[in-house]
Amino acid sequence: MAASSSSRAVLGSATDPKRRVSDPARNRGERAVRWKGASHLVPALLFLGLFFLIPLIGLLLRGFLEPAPGLGNYQTLFANGAYAQVLLNTFGVAALVTLFSVLIGFPLAWTITLMPRGWGRWLFNIVLLSMWTSLLARTYAWLVLLQGAGVINKLLMAVGLIDEPLALVNNLTGVVIGMTYIMIPFIVLPLQATLQAMDPMVLQAGAICGASPWTNFRKVFLPMCRSGLGSGALMVFVMSLGYYVTPALLGGAQNMMLPEFIIQQVQSFLNWGLASAAAALLIVIALVLFALYLRLQPESPVDPQNAR
Amino acid sequence: MLLTPNALGWRLRGGLLLITGAIAAVLLLPIVFIVLLSFGSSQWLVFPPPGWTLKWYQQFFANPEWMQAALASLKVALLTTLVSVALALPCAFALVRGKFPGRKTLYAIFTLPMIVPLVVIAVAIYALFLRLGYTGTLLAFVVSHVIVALPFALIAVINSLKLFDQSIEDAAVICGASRLQAIYRVTLPGIWPGVFAGALFAFLVSWDEVVLSVMMASPNLQTLPVKMWSTLRQDLTPVIAVASTVLIGLSLLVMLAAALLRRRQPQFR
Repeated sequence: MAASSSSRAVLGSATDPKRRVSDPARNRGERAVRWKGASHLVPALLFLGLFFLIPLIGLLLRGFLEPAPGLGNYQTLFANGAYAQVLLNTFGVAALVTLFSVLIGFPLAWTITLMPRGWGRWLFNIVLLSMWTSLLARTYAWLVLLQGAGVINKLLMAVGLIDEPLALVNNLTGVVIGMTYIMIPFIVLPLQATLQAMDPMVLQAGAICGASPWTNFRKVFLPMCRSGLGSGALMVFVMSLGYYVTPALLGGAQNMMLPEFIIQQVQSFLNWGLASAAAALLIVIALVLFALYLRLQPESPVDPQNAR
Repeated sequence: MLLTPNALGWRLRGGLLLITGAIAAVLLLPIVFIVLLSFGSSQWLVFPPPGWTLKWYQQFFANPEWMQAALASLKVALLTTLVSVALALPCAFALVRGKFPGRKTLYAIFTLPMIVPLVVIAVAIYALFLRLGYTGTLLAFVVSHVIVALPFALIAVINSLKLFDQSIEDAAVICGASRLQAIYRVTLPGIWPGVFAGALFAFLVSWDEVVLSVMMASPNLQTLPVKMWSTLRQDLTPVIAVASTVLIGLSLLVMLAAALLRRRQPQFR
């Protein structure tokens, strides 16, 4: 595969100089060849442009235009103490969820790789099952499980760890528990792929060279996990910032997060300007973090260098 | 060493197994719990249930509102699947086979709906349909769902198309088929599992979609998750557990179909 693609590259560069001297008519023909097939993109591009890109740009513009042109909405967003608390909640919860899902997802991904194929496959399927099970159903399950008279509280009291029910739901604790549960698969999948691709011999080499297991883990194993761990964690952080359903159901009325805030501004207060400013903030953060993610994982499936 | 179980040492290995067992149990817990609760006789969702009953299922299936919502969900999901695959197929051909510049950027644009927070997409499309007066219509549901389902369908089709050897299609053309015939008779059957997988993903995304649907819904037209959402905000009746079980059940069926497909077509793992 590599040989054929490099020979193609050589051929391409060899014919290049000839192209420059060709007449305009031939140029046109070449352009047609070059853009061949691009017209098949039109339906999807049209759809996405009309229903996604234009509405998105329209929404972002409203943040600068309504109710009066200027940066007023952004000033309100950052200056108002209650809104600042919303921002703080959003980032705090996203950071905690990322931390916990990494701590839980890491051993899981590691064991899936270690296990004999059949068992590993089962574990992997459990992760997939949890990921593709209805989000609303899982959130509802946690809502019932975490109630004051719910199973978790009863269990903790039966064991004797606590004397009276803990407030596990309708607050940020509930949000963090529910969101961590939902995000675990998104850490496990990329990390497991990284671990699977790792060569065990490298670790053996570390051991032969005299590294203790702990040194080997810290200096060889963890650095090799970094790209999978980093991209998984970034993805989880970005997704956590934008989640609506789980925080809305498991959180309380006092500690709102940004997505809830946006919908409330639109549906209850019809304050499109402020909602759009908050949406812009969310988009900018998501895109910046996604750019970081792409730097950790530079391959694009349609990248020519990556073609089979 | 750290990747070969036998060299790991029994203490570390045991610890890891214990932790993993616990995590796997927690991953399964809510799903099993909700299915069990839907058969439990307690109105207040006491667990373990004092007895077993089917009365919540009777309530669910006898209530026209729930039935209409389930039917609407099915309709929206099927239409979303159809439109997503129809848009994704030509698009995938252009991105994989084309030689034009900017394909990487275009691919990034097509997958953008996976990255932009769902709430933002929902509010943007809601603003558009509000202005056009289309909220609460089937069209609004399908269009908004296709936005988020399209990337899933597209990625699945692209991946299978990249695995398909184009020289087979070329051979058909040399043997006298037109390019369209060759694609229809040779390539499409070849990449069919990928297309099917893309369709399943699109279906699952739409079937489970909450945020977009809540924004698009009207009292006349709501999907199952919307009905669950509005009921949940009032009380935690076990009928919601039934609705959850229905949602989970269909997703599980779709996943099983995908797993069977993978088994039959090992190259699509």
